[in-house]
Amino acid sequence: MKTTDRFQSEDRVLVIGGGIGGIKTALDLAEAQKQVILVDKANAIGGLMTLLDRTFPTNNCDLCTVSPTLSETSRSQYIDLMPLTRLIQLTGEAGNFTATLATAPRYIDLNRCTACGECHRQFPECVNFNPGLDHRAPTCMRYPQATPQAYSIAIDQCRDIGALSACCPADAILPRDSENRFDIHAASVVLAPGASIFDPKNLDCFSYGTEPDVLTSLEYERMMSASGPTQGKLVCPSDGRTPEKIAWIQCVGSRGMQKGAASYCSSVCCMFAIKEAIVTKERFKDSMETTVFYMDMRTFGKDYEGYYERSRKDYGVQFVRSRPHSVFRKPGDTQLTITYASVEDSTLNQEHFDLVVLATGFQISEDVRELAKQIGVDLNCHGFAQTPAFHSSETSRPGVYVCGMFESPKDIPETMIQASAAACRASAHVQAKQAEDASDTDIIPERDVTGEEPRIGVFICDCGENIGSVIDVPGLAAYAKTFPGVVTAEGVGHGCSRESMNHIEQTIIDQKLNRVVIGGCSPRTHETRFQDLLRRAGLNRYLLEMANLRDQNAWVHANQPAEANINARQMIWAAVSSVKKARALSDNHLSINTDVLVVGGGVTGMTAAIRLADQGYKVFLAERRSMLGGTANLIRSTLEGDDVQSFVRDLKARTLAHSRIQVIFNAFIVDHSGMPGMFQTGMQVGPRMFYRQIRHGVTIMSTGALPNRPTDFLLGSHAAVMTQLDADALLADSPRAASGWNNVVMIQCVGSRQPGNPNCSRVCCQAAIKNALKILEKNPETRIFILYRDMRTYGFQEDYYRMAREKGVIFVRYERESPPTVQAAGTQVAVIFPDPVLGRSISVTADALLLSTGFISDDESTEDLSAIFKLTRTPDGYFLEDHIKLRPVDLSRPGFYLAGTAHSPRLIRESIAQAEAAAARAQTLLSRKSIELGAEVARVDSKKCAACLICVRACPFGIPVINADGYSEIDPAKCHGCGVCASECPAKAIQLMRFEDDQILSKLLGLLERRVA
Amino acid sequence: MTTDFEPVIIAFCCHYCAYTAADMAGSQRISYPPNVQIIRVPCSGKVDIIHILKAFENGADGVYVAGCLSGDCHFKTGNIKAARHVAQAAKLLASVGIESDRVQMVNLSAGMGERFAEIAMEMTEKIRKLGPSPVKNPILTAN
Repeated sequence: MKTTDRFQSEDRVLVIGGGIGGIKTALDLAEAQKQVILVDKANAIGGLMTLLDRTFPTNNCDLCTVSPTLSETSRSQYIDLMPLTRLIQLTGEAGNFTATLATAPRYIDLNRCTACGECHRQFPECVNFNPGLDHRAPTCMRYPQATPQAYSIAIDQCRDIGALSACCPADAILPRDSENRFDIHAASVVLAPGASIFDPKNLDCFSYGTEPDVLTSLEYERMMSASGPTQGKLVCPSDGRTPEKIAWIQCVGSRGMQKGAASYCSSVCCMFAIKEAIVTKERFKDSMETTVFYMDMRTFGKDYEGYYERSRKDYGVQFVRSRPHSVFRKPGDTQLTITYASVEDSTLNQEHFDLVVLATGFQISEDVRELAKQIGVDLNCHGFAQTPAFHSSETSRPGVYVCGMFESPKDIPETMIQASAAACRASAHVQAKQAEDASDTDIIPERDVTGEEPRIGVFICDCGENIGSVIDVPGLAAYAKTFPGVVTAEGVGHGCSRESMNHIEQTIIDQKLNRVVIGGCSPRTHETRFQDLLRRAGLNRYLLEMANLRDQNAWVHANQPAEANINARQMIWAAVSSVKKARALSDNHLSINTDVLVVGGGVTGMTAAIRLADQGYKVFLAERRSMLGGTANLIRSTLEGDDVQSFVRDLKARTLAHSRIQVIFNAFIVDHSGMPGMFQTGMQVGPRMFYRQIRHGVTIMSTGALPNRPTDFLLGSHAAVMTQLDADALLADSPRAASGWNNVVMIQCVGSRQPGNPNCSRVCCQAAIKNALKILEKNPETRIFILYRDMRTYGFQEDYYRMAREKGVIFVRYERESPPTVQAAGTQVAVIFPDPVLGRSISVTADALLLSTGFISDDESTEDLSAIFKLTRTPDGYFLEDHIKLRPVDLSRPGFYLAGTAHSPRLIRESIAQAEAAAARAQTLLSRKSIELGAEVARVDSKKCAACLICVRACPFGIPVINADGYSEIDPAKCHGCGVCASECPAKAIQLMRFEDDQILSKLLGLLERRVA
Repeated sequence: MTTDFEPVIIAFCCHYCAYTAADMAGSQRISYPPNVQIIRVPCSGKVDIIHILKAFENGADGVYVAGCLSGDCHFKTGNIKAARHVAQAAKLLASVGIESDRVQMVNLSAGMGERFAEIAMEMTEKIRKLGPSPVKNPILTAN
């Protein structure tokens, strides 16, 4: 832990909550060189996401995607991580807050704990990996990748404190630890406390809590997880048998479906259930039947609709539109019975299942509400943070921002977006600080070791008992000393302890070592620390090799110590052989241009431009039309009744007046080159199309999408037929227009969720509800029919859907296969649609037919721009982000960020959040004076290259090109460092730095040689 | 003669999944045969056919390449390329009279510590049954 003096400076952001949202906010701020304090009441960070087995829609394992993020958090020098800590009080104002924090006792000295696990091995009943599925325990590390990698103890549950203290080889247990209250200063605060899960115990109808085979979706997730209570084996908890039929029941605790349920939609449970059903089908194929009981399938996110379609068509997941009445076990049955009424014919059905999974929704816990009250942040009627119309990360208290579930229920990508947006807003109160200057001045310069004979130092950790109890460390060190090139070899106890690190550093200097081998734990966790040590000692950080004696030898071969000791010798010999071949590598630095190019001047582009310009960056905003505002120019009000036009007018005025924003109208981008930090983009500008080139460090793509206007249902050929956008304008601009409407019909999903534009347009359900309510406001007698496939009023929009039903709007479902038909009937139109409840067709003569046409990608412009900027697109023409879950605003090309409807259809408020997220991400690059290019990149030997194109084809990222001199060139700024090109190159003209062939072969020979010695 | 034969097996493990899974087996203290020696590579697709053949030339009795699960590769398609390299190496081995079963591609996620141990066990058993590699390593015979 760093000195508390640092906490007396105001220049930092306080982030409350170490779930994925809080982590993302903290990381973005840290990457932009702003100080952060990240506090969480739990003993490790990670939140809900680390409990998931896999995430939709990629079905990736979360642990591998999130754990690099987690360890990144703990090692970042800009973040002070405070687990087991709560915010008690917040005084002062934006720019100058004083926060009172309270840290609960951990009873463990984090500086000493090595996460060896000895305490929980001796107290085996103590470990809790699985909240909710097994007992709580005194010593608790929540999941294997938890950061910080240390345990905590519930002292009151421990029977023999003395024995517990004595068992710790690092002497890290502090039985008399106590709560620590202290004040810190902060310029701004981000609240990311997350939500809690609805507890279905109070619902007697679903037998949760009484029938062990009824689970919540999170418990099911833990059962499927390899790190879960059953190591991923799916069994019925009642008797351990393998289930063959599983049901999911949606909207448990949401949409006002049950006693105590929230009235809003929890937004994520549909995708959550589909994912669980797919993963289950993937594993069990035809031996498993999966059924989802649902009301509306709300797959409104980017490419979610295709995921839903695949679950039905490719995986055979069954979907039953119904609201089950009850779940119970008939006496004598092994299976559970679900009773439900079919919506089609209202008959009562019964079906048997082995497992029933309740898709439980999210709520804000009492603790969090209390916290909000304590610090003066207003809550909405549902207990979530109250935020203004267009700015989802602002709370009622200036300088206090919010992200994630506490703002509204949302999935991981939306949380990541909002987390970055909160980072953007919070960072406006804080000055960036260059990395501690000590690194430049106090550190001895790097010594050039080329040409020197190897002088290798081998340092072997015993890691307490972890290695020491299995491996004869002194014997191993003595053995290593006999290797040619090894100058010194010794045991160093806990190599990562401060004393040992200082000792190793001094030894490197005193003995003029030029290569170092550490025999200890995994390079995954500790390589950076030892690399930093080498650098401090004046050596290049890449002259290091680690032998993983602990995780991959002592821990796994403890029962075969003789073999483990032989292996240890081989591992050290391999590391020595390999480190001889290591060469100094430079992380190339590139000084950067901090100007920004924003492409597209809609609300998204303007917001990103203003946020960055306010932070002092010069912004070029290129708009192909002669006006700003984009699609928002067409919208009069939001569902909540906020005035969009006055907001857009104000935004335009601020953009045009900003001294650091230059708006370039009528700009068509024609060429582009360069690398992150130094791009050049050429455009033809104005009515005379003169050519102009902009130099910039980053690019934000905010080119938007187009309001869809298909010619279906007489749109464009009959005056009574219009889009929801047309109607929104008509209702606002000529209020009398709707007064004569007796019958109004709306058709949803026109031009969306169908071939050609397969995804959901996300905004149309709320637009239909908005217009329906507005029509009824003017004329409450109007009869309104909304023909829909699924009503997707996610989150708090559900309240308006309910209001519309209460006011008499008639909702009639239709299937894609049998859409309504429309015929002209004079000034009116006749709409004919099948009514599933009546079982026959109905004809309504409508005075107005409002089509929910949603969005379609601006295919023409995204196609051109993707070719010019070398960006990838989805099959339906939206730009494709780098990682759909964890990097939703970063494009796969470094230095490019994506926001607004160019990403996917979204509401204004959601676009603004994404614009701010893009601004935050852009700042992570812009705040550096120079960019560091990693050292693990492929290098081509031009003399050997035959320009055969194999590397060009092999590279998963399309980086190699054959240059004008006729050989392959790999841009180190773009290379991801996988080394596939190196392994495929037939001339061996390509080498991956740090993993060159001679390094790998030396290691290989080291492992194989001397085995019979 | 092969009853107490202890094979030497090289496992090339990708950093993001397989190597992490191996660490995970460690932190969960799941033991597996000490016959398996691990070499870390950034991506399974980095493993060259030559690396595999060199392993046999220098005395390995079996080699496997462990990458991310299909579709989960940190480098998009590296694990698919790795599978191709392994298949090619197997073909080359077979053509010089070395059982192609001695080389294998496996896939696992970072969280699969138990699976990592299982694979090590299966591979060791398989190679034990096949007996020592027909390649005689000059370094070994010299002793």
